[in-house]
Amino acid sequence: MDLATLLFWIIAIILVGSSLLVVGLRNIVHSALALVVVFAMAAGIYLLLDAEFIAIVQILIYAGAVTILILFALMLTRTNNVRTNSNPINKVWWIGAIISTLVGAGIIFAVTIGPYSHVHAGGGAGYGPQNAACPLPPNNVAYIGQLLYSPTCYSYVLPFEIASLVLLVAIIGAIVIGRED
Amino acid sequence: MGLSLNHFLVLGALLFCIGLYGALAKRNAIAVLMGIEIMLNAVNITMVGFAFYNTVKPWSTYLTGQIFAIFIITVAAAEAAVALAMIISIYRKRNTVDVGEINLMKW
Amino acid sequence: MALYEYSWLILLSPLFAFAVIIFGTRMWDLATRGRVASQPAHEAETHAGHNGHDESGSDVELMHEKGPRGEDLIFENIEDPKVPELTPGAKISGYLSVVIMALACIYAWILLLNTAGLISVAPLLPTQGISLTQISYAWCQNIDATNNCFGLGSYVIAFHLDNLTIVMLVVVTSITLLVQFYSQGYMERSAGYARFYAYLSLFAFSMLTIVFAANFLVIFIGWELVGLSSYLLIGFWFNKKRKPAEDRLSPSSASIEAFIVNRVGDVGFIIGIMILFVSTGTFSFSQLPTAVMHMDKAVLTVAMILIFCGAIGKSAQVPLHVWLPPAMEGPTPVSALIHAATMVAAGVYMVGRTWFIFAAADPLAFQIVAWIGGISAIFAASIALVQTDFKRVLAFSTISQLGYMFVGMGIAAGTAYGPGLGMFHLFTHAFFKALLFLCAGSVLYALHHATHKETQDMRVMGGLGPMMPITAIAWLIGTFAIGGFPFFDSFFSKDNIIAVAFDTGNYALWAITLITAGLTSFYMFRAFILAFGGKGGNWGGLWGGTYRGKVYRIAGVEEGNQDKTYLVEMSPEEKEHVKVPHESPLTMTIPLILLMIPSIFAGDWFNFYPYIQAGAPALTVRDVLDDWKTWAGLAVSLIGFTWAYVMYARVEFARIHDYVQNRAFLRSAHRVLLHKYYVDELYNLLIRYVVFGFSHIAQAFDTYVVDGIVNGVARLVTTIGRDVRHVETGRVQAYMIGFFGGVAVLAILVFALVTFVK
Repeated sequence: MDLATLLFWIIAIILVGSSLLVVGLRNIVHSALALVVVFAMAAGIYLLLDAEFIAIVQILIYAGAVTILILFALMLTRTNNVRTNSNPINKVWWIGAIISTLVGAGIIFAVTIGPYSHVHAGGGAGYGPQNAACPLPPNNVAYIGQLLYSPTCYSYVLPFEIASLVLLVAIIGAIVIGRED
Repeated sequence: MGLSLNHFLVLGALLFCIGLYGALAKRNAIAVLMGIEIMLNAVNITMVGFAFYNTVKPWSTYLTGQIFAIFIITVAAAEAAVALAMIISIYRKRNTVDVGEINLMKW
Repeated sequence: MALYEYSWLILLSPLFAFAVIIFGTRMWDLATRGRVASQPAHEAETHAGHNGHDESGSDVELMHEKGPRGEDLIFENIEDPKVPELTPGAKISGYLSVVIMALACIYAWILLLNTAGLISVAPLLPTQGISLTQISYAWCQNIDATNNCFGLGSYVIAFHLDNLTIVMLVVVTSITLLVQFYSQGYMERSAGYARFYAYLSLFAFSMLTIVFAANFLVIFIGWELVGLSSYLLIGFWFNKKRKPAEDRLSPSSASIEAFIVNRVGDVGFIIGIMILFVSTGTFSFSQLPTAVMHMDKAVLTVAMILIFCGAIGKSAQVPLHVWLPPAMEGPTPVSALIHAATMVAAGVYMVGRTWFIFAAADPLAFQIVAWIGGISAIFAASIALVQTDFKRVLAFSTISQLGYMFVGMGIAAGTAYGPGLGMFHLFTHAFFKALLFLCAGSVLYALHHATHKETQDMRVMGGLGPMMPITAIAWLIGTFAIGGFPFFDSFFSKDNIIAVAFDTGNYALWAITLITAGLTSFYMFRAFILAFGGKGGNWGGLWGGTYRGKVYRIAGVEEGNQDKTYLVEMSPEEKEHVKVPHESPLTMTIPLILLMIPSIFAGDWFNFYPYIQAGAPALTVRDVLDDWKTWAGLAVSLIGFTWAYVMYARVEFARIHDYVQNRAFLRSAHRVLLHKYYVDELYNLLIRYVVFGFSHIAQAFDTYVVDGIVNGVARLVTTIGRDVRHVETGRVQAYMIGFFGGVAVLAILVFALVTFVK
């Protein structure tokens, strides 16, 4: 196998393993740390898929901000001595297990051996049509920049603006909800 | 064997169902949130995979999956912030983060 | 013809009286009256009283409650409220009724005398009678040219006048007039005086509706109305309590029993009428005898038997006779009018009216009529042998004589008599039975007035003859009239029925009616001797004698409750100044005297049979005296008279009682007869277990099935709601489980569909 495949398998195994640790560990802080590994490995997957910008954004946002957020929340919501189980399992965990198994099996079936799946081989990130007004960007970041901000070429400006509004609302909401009064 | 789209889709499915299990079977609210984050990441992987392996003309030339993934990351971050603010607020009132005990909307 | 055409006035005049009394004079009476029954029912002076000696000689309380020291308690202020003085409104009610009925009676007698040929103010009636068309009213809106309504005959309220009608008119109006006149004395100072006369007028109207009816619908209207009037009049003293020691119901219960038993008969009546209507399309009495010729004979016979069921109920034949003895709880004028002379005769009249329809049916119908009459005759006569209640003897006697009338109706099948044979006995019976009842009322009135209790038991009467001569003689004449004494009424009417029974070949019926004649004379004469005679009287115990009983005085009124009065026995010193029962006032004795005349002479109308039915043989004295059957009947009735005389006038009552009680067969026979063959108990059982059994089943069905379904649905909804609400746990994870569970189910579904459905 070539390098890409090998890297993929290594990253994938670590990814799945640490996600199992996230849901399985009894100490919730340990779970949060395993979550960091999950985020990092996901960034690795993005790199394999020629999505450098997404990978960096993943590290910045997820492994950085969201993780810190979760750790702060864990700090502020400590109920008891850390030695006891701070990440307990529900009484009806087996229902969750069965449901998740079935859902996963369903998706995997549909993807691999279902009647509407077909194997995609090869491929690479092809870049868009040449156009005098919209020249092909040289790299992934520039292309994503064009897709997000360009006023003349095909772009997602409006969703971008709306997403910024969403972030504004989320900031204000989080401040208001998290206030102490 | 070369990589194909199926590898990434199966990986995404696995992660999704592991995250689902975490969301359904954990009692700590923050653990539920962590499960949801895993699920969102699984979806992101799938989206970016589709962006890489697309063959549908003419959109195969656009990185729609990656744009989708950006927005998902954005919204997920916002949602995590708000959710954690709520959990802290509930913790201040009830002194617990056990989701089994937050049942005021009971019959 | 104008004489006949205005005869509908006879029908409407009592209705007019009823309306005036109810809406006018009675309202006036109620408005001007002071407080009812503020006067104590008794004066302080002492009167003769009586107590019951039972047959073994010890003192036994016959009817009333006992006070704390053993005195008798009576409740007259409640049971029979009296007013100190009748208001003008009440008096005018009485006068109005009497005057109107007098006018109607005179009109009826003129009609009778004219059509019988004795006076002549108008031409004779045609044989089929005339129809009084002024009040023929067609109900149905859809009458086509042939007077048909939807293919069936139309419903018309029509009235009809012919000789049969005139006979009944005379009977009804005369007896009603005499009873109304009599009631002025009997119901004196009663609080319900105006109401009584209103009901009597209503009854007269109803009975006349039956008499004038030209079709089954109108006769049914009248049928039900007389039932209603009977109910109202029997239950006239509605506050009276029942007296179980004397086996007497309360008047309210008795009135309900009368109405309901009548209703039971009416079920058959209605079904029979409907069968006839559906088969022939008409209700009319004049059209039916020809219309039924085209009917299937079996269906016609069934219909006529059902119609006869109505007569069984109305005329108190076996098995629907049970209402007549309790109906004696009503005032005695009511018993005289309704339950002796007229209402119970309505059944006989109806059979007489429809006689030709019966004749067109199978002979079985007439046989059933005759046999039920015969069975009732001997059944009731045997019960009357041992009854001790004065009015109850007369009630059973009425049932028995009505049986004779039905026998007369039935055995005339195939002969030329038509309905006349039974109608003649109806005609004579009305007069002497009314006479007997009014005498009974006179006796009861006198005893109640002189003592303070209401006693109807013959065992505590005796020797009343010299004290009440007119009443006694009237009773004696009535006894001779009913018993077939030579040349009195029944000698011609009842004995003729017995003779014709033999002539037409019904030998069994002949034997039954002959024996019943003997029983009749026995028990009537027994009643006479027990009440008016007794051992030690004149003429060998026939007139006067010992008055059996104790003497009472009033001991006072219960404190605080003026309605309860105590009676206590007098000491021998007080007995010296005792007042004995005396003759009733003139308003009561004049009707008695007036009724004595037709009791003796009504049987002498020898042309009765041709009058009713053209072509029937007239009665002649020569034929009667030549017939050996007459002498046989006479012998039997004389045996009855003699035996009664020997037993009750020569031998003491107590000795007879001991004799009967000491022999097992006689004692058990006496008990069976005293309890009226236990028919009442049988009916009680039937109603309690069969009728109420069905009711309980229906009620259980309603409670458990119907209500069960309705309540069950509600309960189901409630239970489902109460159990399903637990799904809403309030925990988000549970909702998520539901959500993703659905997704999992869909996944399985898709997998299954994809794999197995190609």
